[in-house]
Amino acid sequence: MPHVEVLPNATSAAAPGWHYVVDTGFDPSKVAINPKDRKRAAARGGPRTDNELSARQQTAIARRIAELERDNDPKQSIPIPSKSGIPKTPNARKIIQYQRQIKHWLDDEEAQLALLQQVPQPRAAHLRRVGTIPQALSEATPAPPGSATPILSGTPGEQIDPMFSIESSMPPPLDKAELEALLAVPPLSFAASHVAPPAPGGPPQRHFCDNCGYWGNIKCLKCGARVCGLECKDAHESTRCLKWT
Amino acid sequence: MPPKGSKKGSASAPKQTLVLDNGAYTLKAGLVPSTSANPSYDNCSVIPNCIARSARDKRTYVASELSNCKDFGELVFRRPVEKGFIVNWEAQKAIWEHEFLEASAGEGLRCNPKETNLLLTEKPNCPKELQKNCDEIVFEQFEFAAYYRCVGPTLNAWNTSSPSSLPQECLLIIDTSYSDTTILPVYSGQLLQSAVKRLNVGGKLLTNYLKELSSLRHYNMLEETYLLNEIKEAVSYVAPSTQQFCIDLERTWKGRLGDKRTLDSSIVLDYVLPDYEHSSHGYARPHDPAKSRMRRGLQPQQGPREDLLPLGNERFAVPELLFNPTDIGIQEAGLPEAIMQSLNSLPEALKVTMLANVLVIGGNSLIPGFMERLESELRTLVPAEYLLNISRADDPIKHTWLGAARFASHPDLLKHVLVKKTEYDENGSAWLARKFAGGGAK
Ligand SMILES: [Zn+2]
Ligand SMILES: [Zn+2]
Repeated sequence: MPHVEVLPNATSAAAPGWHYVVDTGFDPSKVAINPKDRKRAAARGGPRTDNELSARQQTAIARRIAELERDNDPKQSIPIPSKSGIPKTPNARKIIQYQRQIKHWLDDEEAQLALLQQVPQPRAAHLRRVGTIPQALSEATPAPPGSATPILSGTPGEQIDPMFSIESSMPPPLDKAELEALLAVPPLSFAASHVAPPAPGGPPQRHFCDNCGYWGNIKCLKCGARVCGLECKDAHESTRCLKWT
Repeated sequence: MPPKGSKKGSASAPKQTLVLDNGAYTLKAGLVPSTSANPSYDNCSVIPNCIARSARDKRTYVASELSNCKDFGELVFRRPVEKGFIVNWEAQKAIWEHEFLEASAGEGLRCNPKETNLLLTEKPNCPKELQKNCDEIVFEQFEFAAYYRCVGPTLNAWNTSSPSSLPQECLLIIDTSYSDTTILPVYSGQLLQSAVKRLNVGGKLLTNYLKELSSLRHYNMLEETYLLNEIKEAVSYVAPSTQQFCIDLERTWKGRLGDKRTLDSSIVLDYVLPDYEHSSHGYARPHDPAKSRMRRGLQPQQGPREDLLPLGNERFAVPELLFNPTDIGIQEAGLPEAIMQSLNSLPEALKVTMLANVLVIGGNSLIPGFMERLESELRTLVPAEYLLNISRADDPIKHTWLGAARFASHPDLLKHVLVKKTEYDENGSAWLARKFAGGGAK
């Protein structure tokens, strides 16, 4: 799932319609009102609130990203050529017949994790869970003969690899117990593996013209998209405005 | 439940392993003898992992058959792998059968699974249910003699300079592929799971983004995924720096009404679109404003018709998403910062060594300027006294396969991780899942 940021509101008294705002870092005082559009807004019956606008923008961005990330188009199904071999077991047949998409499997994974977190684990079950991890790991990672170090065995007095003693002249040397703990961590869920948003204090988010890709210094108040000037404003209105909402 | 009644007397281990890096965009595959040969890139076949259907010639192309296709117009793709994981086994099974089992198999790829080991790679953080499906299909449907599944990029630890049965000690893998870009710190061939990071930007997103932009600005090309991927590969570049990005953005701007600017023809290109009658592939050439005007309805009376797609800021704004995902609202840090997010969760001593051993793999790393931008931005984030050593694999597409093949050509290494079909039949898939847990070849 993409992370989507709610854009800060640009104005508190915006009428809907074709209002464009010179964007100077979300300063409400810089809002320009187009009087021509005020009539159109009145005809539609009252201004929208900012929260609505933000929610719409949020939805628009999420939809667009989902579209860009899609692997298969569910509307276009291609039949498998018929010479394909028949399933050999009922279980295989079931798996081969699944028509689910990745989002269903990921939703399942999240639902199961949420369930595990909600339900207080009985103590015994919890202990068993903790106990299985190292066991599973040691099964999965048998040290091949001739391989350098039994990483998980933790033989007392074992030398730290020379590579580290050279490289680690600055930071403290690698702590063996810490390394073992690190190697024993089970995989993260898919959702937990995502990169975090940029650190605060970095460069501000850049905005581009929705039509031509140049800097988008002017904001469409109807859909939140940015444009670079009048020419692209017209193009935006006739093509993509509100497309993703 | 797996069926019982496996045949006895199959005690002798198979003499070959099908090494299969099962990517979302392409399969990387080759049969590797179990005796220590020294496999090379040449032993690896790259096969489209898709079934394509053309509405024009009404043909269905399975995987490698795509090379027979001449008209890529409105070609629709069905891909068994989504977000890097095998999701649709109906399609994946058909492709595996076509490429490895039947007469249609390519040279040196056809095998009898009952006499073959399978070394299959997966992406990190695969949902357990999908792993289970995969294991069950491998043994119950394909009946491979023995099988090992692990996180593919970790196998690059076996790509050491001299053939060795020891993995590289510390390796930071950046895998920028079709589905996404993942960051994988690997210690002695074992993945440090807690530090794995995934950036939601991969080749697929870049192609779709270029398709969206071109369709908005010039032609409706929404049905032309194949073509837009080809154009992306032909014209994309990564701006060397944020500053240069801004300069190039100025140079490719048309200006305002009343203040028109001349496009910089050192950046702006015209892509001559294929017509799929005389040409199956297009090509790029420097932008010609006169010809571009002709495009708008003023085609020559005689001679071949030419359709031009002008490409300006699309050339660098599209791959820029790898470095600034927030440009289109993906709330994730760019790749250099993402790498530091991963490393900062590790002990300092490991972080230092990882930084001295960064290896980049995956097709996006071939975009001109990618490595330079990554290195220079990463350098500004790494403490000055730390060594930063970053390189791209010679063949960033086949490199994981090569590491896997090198691993598979050590009989003693392979023996310790392979699970035999007889063991699976006896113990079932939950047991197998526990056995493969941990995610790295070691
Ligand atoms: Zn514009
Ligand atoms: Zn708008």
